Amino acid sequence: MNVTLYLGCLIKSFFPEVEKAVKEVMKRISVEFEEPKDASCCAPIWLFSLNKNAWLRLNERNMKFFQSVVVTACDDCFASLNDAFKIISERNSIKTPEVKPFGKFMLENIEGKKLKFSIKGLRCAVQHSCHLLRPARDVDDAENPKVVKKVLEKLGYIPVSYEGELDCCGGLVFEERVNRMLARRKAELLENSGADCVVATCSHCIYQLKSVSSIPVLHLAQLSAFSLGANPEEVGLPDTLVRKVVKP
Amino acid sequence: MQTISIKKLGKARLIEKLREKNAGGFLKCIQCGSCTSSCIVNVVDETFNPRMIIGSITRFGRLLSQDPWLCSACLKCVERCPQRVDPFSIMVALRLINYGDYGRLPNRVVEIIRQIKKTGFAFPINEEVREKRRILGLPEFEISEQGLNEIREILSEVEI
Repeated sequence: MNVTLYLGCLIKSFFPEVEKAVKEVMKRISVEFEEPKDASCCAPIWLFSLNKNAWLRLNERNMKFFQSVVVTACDDCFASLNDAFKIISERNSIKTPEVKPFGKFMLENIEGKKLKFSIKGLRCAVQHSCHLLRPARDVDDAENPKVVKKVLEKLGYIPVSYEGELDCCGGLVFEERVNRMLARRKAELLENSGADCVVATCSHCIYQLKSVSSIPVLHLAQLSAFSLGANPEEVGLPDTLVRKVVKP
Repeated sequence: MQTISIKKLGKARLIEKLREKNAGGFLKCIQCGSCTSSCIVNVVDETFNPRMIIGSITRFGRLLSQDPWLCSACLKCVERCPQRVDPFSIMVALRLINYGDYGRLPNRVVEIIRQIKKTGFAFPINEEVREKRRILGLPEFEISEQGLNEIREILSEVEI
């Protein structure tokens, strides 16, 4: 499998521990990958909505640097690349790269395998990514998403259900007052779930919720890497969480 | 954000403008309110009401003074509309009409577009993160000069 890893601007610029975690996971599940050196921002939905042609051209350019499979670490990048490639493929009658969101990629790689993991007992509330689920594609159930929860279970974590699970974090609201109200509202729902941490696969959600949440907000890759034996400090897992872990 | 010029357009012209900007299926709206009951922004600020925004356009050719940038782009309304109206595309069209008339975008959007034109990526990287990347053994990332020229040429379409 020829895999390109597309991390996305937010992870590259703000969350090096997430980048480290994604790369640790790739190493530990033995997937070789390359990074697209000259690829740019994918201009996700809120940006491409301003100029659809520029969005398509930007991603047509990005496509030149991609292998046949692109794994995205951010679900907003997944949505942008996936939807742009679909249009490009139909318009030009060409085969475009297959884009896989990190959660689905993980599930495919660990499903059916007997994994040895070294942790147990962490309760996780999943922050579902709006643009992964909607518009509905074939990656997950739009009204009852299961992929990230299945990955967590498979790796020894306990996903918890909670009220308002599908609610947006407001990360793409560009008006400060409403942006903050939505962030606090969602953080409260997540805290009330009784979980030890929040798990997300969209870097906008991570950025938004980290600013208000009283419990740690993590990328699925960080917990995956930890479960597969990576050094918790290197992948940015807080001590408070590590101390809660029970050896199986 | 002001929307006075839209209010003066009149119904036919407003609908034509929305169609030009690819607003999807709004004439099929039956005012059932699925969009508003799915809308998370409406939960925290009830003045933002997609059903009323669409209804006032299609019935009266008027736009309520609600900022289309309040929409969180969560797309629940798009997924749940029984008539396959695309309320998000209507918000986008309204953003574009405002933008065309006033050339005004939220500051954060302008900053991000400028940053992509400058480096190819949406956000600047600070020294602390650079140092952390070095400690973790992560590679430097920089787009070639030729690559940047290609990106700038594409984004010259987006005027800010």
